[in-house]
Amino acid sequence: MMSEYTRTGRKKLWFDLMSEAGIAAGDDDIIVLNDDSWEQVMAATHGEAAACFQCGVCTATCPWGLVRPEPVIIRHLMRQAQLGAPGWTEALWLCTTCGQCSAQCPRGVDISSVIVALRGLAWGEKQAPAGLPTLMWNLYWDGNPYGRPPSQRAAWSDDLGLHEFTAEDEVMLYLGCTANYDQRIQKVARAVVQVLRAADVRFGVLGEREPCCGDAARTAGHTGYADEIAANGSKLFREMGVGTVVAISPHCLDQFVHHFDMPTAFRALHYTQYMGQLIDEGRLRIEGELAAKVTFHDPCYLGRRGGDFESPRDVLGSVPGLELVEMPRNRDEALCCGGGGGRMWLETPASERFAEMRVAEARATGAEIIGTACPHCVSCLEDSAGSSMRVADVAEIVAWALAKTEPAAAEVAP
Amino acid sequence: MTKSIYGPADANGVWVYLEHEQGRMESVSLELLQQGRALADALQTTLTGVLTGYALGDLPAQAVACGADRVLVAEHPMLQPYTTDPHTKVVEAMVREGRPDILLLGATPDGRDLAGRLAVRLRTGLTADCTGLAIDAERRLLRGDVVGFGGGIVATILCPEHRPQMATVRPGIFAQPEPNPGRSGEIRPFPVELTPDDAPVRVLERSVSDGVDLTRAPAIVAVGRGAHGDLALIEQLARLLDAEIGGTRVAADAGWIGRDRQIGQTGVVTAPKVALCFGISGAIHFTVGIEKAECVVAINTDPEAAIFEHADVCIVDDMFAVLPHLIEELSRLRAEVGAS
Repeated sequence: MMSEYTRTGRKKLWFDLMSEAGIAAGDDDIIVLNDDSWEQVMAATHGEAAACFQCGVCTATCPWGLVRPEPVIIRHLMRQAQLGAPGWTEALWLCTTCGQCSAQCPRGVDISSVIVALRGLAWGEKQAPAGLPTLMWNLYWDGNPYGRPPSQRAAWSDDLGLHEFTAEDEVMLYLGCTANYDQRIQKVARAVVQVLRAADVRFGVLGEREPCCGDAARTAGHTGYADEIAANGSKLFREMGVGTVVAISPHCLDQFVHHFDMPTAFRALHYTQYMGQLIDEGRLRIEGELAAKVTFHDPCYLGRRGGDFESPRDVLGSVPGLELVEMPRNRDEALCCGGGGGRMWLETPASERFAEMRVAEARATGAEIIGTACPHCVSCLEDSAGSSMRVADVAEIVAWALAKTEPAAAEVAP
Repeated sequence: MTKSIYGPADANGVWVYLEHEQGRMESVSLELLQQGRALADALQTTLTGVLTGYALGDLPAQAVACGADRVLVAEHPMLQPYTTDPHTKVVEAMVREGRPDILLLGATPDGRDLAGRLAVRLRTGLTADCTGLAIDAERRLLRGDVVGFGGGIVATILCPEHRPQMATVRPGIFAQPEPNPGRSGEIRPFPVELTPDDAPVRVLERSVSDGVDLTRAPAIVAVGRGAHGDLALIEQLARLLDAEIGGTRVAADAGWIGRDRQIGQTGVVTAPKVALCFGISGAIHFTVGIEKAECVVAINTDPEAAIFEHADVCIVDDMFAVLPHLIEELSRLRAEVGAS
């Protein structure tokens, strides 16, 4: 505990420094430290910011600096966390949790986890931005971030003849809220199903019982609620006897790997990882040719956060005729699409969308198709690409090759 | 526990505190009248509306038409606009005299402000921010549902001994009543005694945002990519329907509509009686914003457009071919209504 003397002393020191620097200190410039607040912030962030030595690499690497005249000063957020004096500024809600900063941080600070923890405190102060409370209520009432009826979760797949997962199945295919409710991403889910069937995989789904993974709640700052979602989800997975789960969204995968409480034998895979395994085992043979030039956009939650840059590239590489070209920013330096960290539920002016920049980078490679492997990336990139470029999920590309058809314009038109 | 000012035996009736803005009843107050009516019927008692302000016009009559058996009207220049102290004093006096069994307020900034003060002065409890209200038939008690994320629970709260049983109610939970101008009810003025000492806060200036609020629009004409920026006919149609114009993110990005008129996931979630969607494909990021509309009419050239899965009326045609017919027919209908 800091004594009253120290606190006043620090305040005085601040004044001295300011006057030395020739800055007239107004009341706005003074940060008053408070023990209660400090303890609260330490508890929420688990002291993660303590290692930060304020070098500012995070600020320099944050992609917001690419689209705004002034960068978002992540270093300040870390200092605020260290001092236990958070400020409820817009900066707190801009973070897409892309992990670019942490990848470069010389002290290995999990920066976005600190930002997400500060968001949690901001909710307590009723400082969350408009839009996010609706997201939370949607999750609470309907079990999905879109506020669509839970009874409609599996309705889109009626014609696919999917069966409920049983312990006899090799894997459980976890579709996720976005694939279940967003018509665009339903096409990705259909492609995944098509590929799994082509490899004779015995798989089941959870249908209407499939729970939300909790990613949206967690990155919006509601850690407690996300933990509860994860606990309920783990319980269901265990009861159903799920040994291997294959997820369509890397965001769901991240929840299964890091937040679900499962036996050690449990495996969570992204579908590109599972497809890679099927190709290695000789079960999935892609014989149809797809003469297309494709550049791959790394989803943050599969790449930087999930540590897997190669599985989607290996799958694309096994498509005969497909030429894979790289954007200058690739793998751990890939630019985020802008859709993570709850940003899918917050508006971004067109001039500040990372995806606009990403599409320009993709076009510069001469590729015809941007391949990616995450529902949020597909939405953001497609939105920014308009009719200028095709965006396709790796599963769709593989499905086209399996069907030995050129992608029909209607299938990829935005 | 502090003793109640009056007990269950002396209490009678359901009261709802009615808020208004610029001569219009707030939607949460209409919702309170609807739900208050249901609670009063369940208890076989009367529903009283509490109106405070100045020059209230036909608001008391409107409260009767919307279900109140009686309206207590306190009119005084110091009660307009809302400030904490004068309203607390007046409503407290009303409750002490009228001894209601139940007192409901909207969980609005003003309603929350007033409810907390009243509960302390009246030595009773307050169930804040309810998302459900019902009557426990056996014990004749108000059951208030309060939810919390942290525990992921719905707590049902009772106030068994103290009166009135107070609750603030979250806006948008209950339906609004269909006004019946033929209903009769008693409108009773309540004498107000206020001196300048009762108002430590003076309102020097009031600014009401003139920005559009699509969440309250009863009719919406929405446009998407298919409008190609030509909104001339859309504007005509909106005028004929007294509708607000809204649109997709594409329309907002292109500057065809203002950002405050953007509907959907990163815009506004609307709940109009009718939404007409022109040239909108119907991606989920848009449709979440019209999900709560009572009736959706969609016009799109593509018969496979996703918007049709969310529409009650589907028109497969070019919006610019449909609009002149709609405008012509509506103009004719309006002229007929005007003439009769």
